[in-house]
Amino acid sequence: MRFPAGTAAASGLALCHICHRVSDVVRARCHCCGTHLHLRNAHSLERTIALLITAVMLYIPANTLPIMHTYQFGQPDPATIIGGVLILIDMGSYPIAAVIFIASVMVPIAKMLAIAYLVVSVRRGGKISAQQRTVIYRMTEFVGKWSMVDVFVVAILVSLVRLEGLLTIEPGLAAAAFASVVVVTMLSAHAFDVRLIWDNCEVEEVATP
Amino acid sequence: MSGHQTACHECDLLVDVPDITEGQEADCPRCGVQLTSRPRRALQRGLSCALAATIFLAIGISFPFLSFANGGIEAVMTLPDAVITIYHSGDAPLAIILFTTIIGAPAALLASIVALTAPLLMNYPAFWLKGLGRFMFSLADWSMVDVFIIGVIVSLVKIMHMADVTLGLSFWGYIGFAMCLVGALSGLDRYQVWSRIEVLSQ
Repeated sequence: MRFPAGTAAASGLALCHICHRVSDVVRARCHCCGTHLHLRNAHSLERTIALLITAVMLYIPANTLPIMHTYQFGQPDPATIIGGVLILIDMGSYPIAAVIFIASVMVPIAKMLAIAYLVVSVRRGGKISAQQRTVIYRMTEFVGKWSMVDVFVVAILVSLVRLEGLLTIEPGLAAAAFASVVVVTMLSAHAFDVRLIWDNCEVEEVATP
Repeated sequence: MSGHQTACHECDLLVDVPDITEGQEADCPRCGVQLTSRPRRALQRGLSCALAATIFLAIGISFPFLSFANGGIEAVMTLPDAVITIYHSGDAPLAIILFTTIIGAPAALLASIVALTAPLLMNYPAFWLKGLGRFMFSLADWSMVDVFIIGVIVSLVKIMHMADVTLGLSFWGYIGFAMCLVGALSGLDRYQVWSRIEVLSQ
């Protein structure tokens, strides 16, 4: 693989992701903290894709199965993620419905599409600039954990609403599936090496900061 | 020596970073990401916020977090209760994810910050500095205390109409804990912290 002149990789230097120091890549370990070194994450695209496919598969049960079962006077009432949003709209809690809809439905889908697009753009070249794709990557990293909101809501309701015989809530299978979607998409974004986006771009003259 | 050579962690540009003073930061000239920063009194802030956060976390797990009453029956929940209840409901994966993201990872993070910043401030070359430094910087992504607080607020809205919900002492303790944890982490720059570790480990 050829790296653009002006990058660390072109000079045989690898950045340690833990302590942010450059070492000669032939050393294999960082001279400062001893972390394993590599010019680019090993098998970055393959690992990203594998984890992404896992997330997509988990996303199906996460949305079709109930995320929690409410038992009112012993009568079970299962609710899916979308069902929960509709209930909140019925109650008139529009801001909270929006928070749950954005965090649980829009963000995971947008994140999976963004990661897929970034991987494809590394292979085929992107229509938008490397700078803009880097911004997309930063956003997927930033929003990653916020999709966990709905899982925490279920956890709190299950452990708080325990009025035996009157009103209890049990977690549904979708809760663990959805939590796994969030964790696996975070791992997928971590596996993606954002420097690959820039490896197709030549370095222009830039002023030192 | 003035400055150091480094590579941008996002675009891999080789950059000569000048020495920066407290309050300054250095950004990548190509992609604009922050390469390093030196917040004022970063280590002091890290240690003091982490110690305060430890006290808040102790409050956060020891007392009622929320309570829920309807027609004379009351259900009280503490944070450890929440994990245990979910575990007993048969959903072990969910219990593990919950424990890790709201108690386990943040508590380990706090302990690491204290065990790292205290020796660095006292110039004590502790043998654990490098191992713990690697651990701490890998762990920060997996603490979700801020997301959990939003989850609590959403839950309150969902159940307010069903019964009387009361915020317990632990709820406020946990809010303090989340704020102090953010404060502790905000000053800890990878490059600057490792410079201190490197000096002490020689």
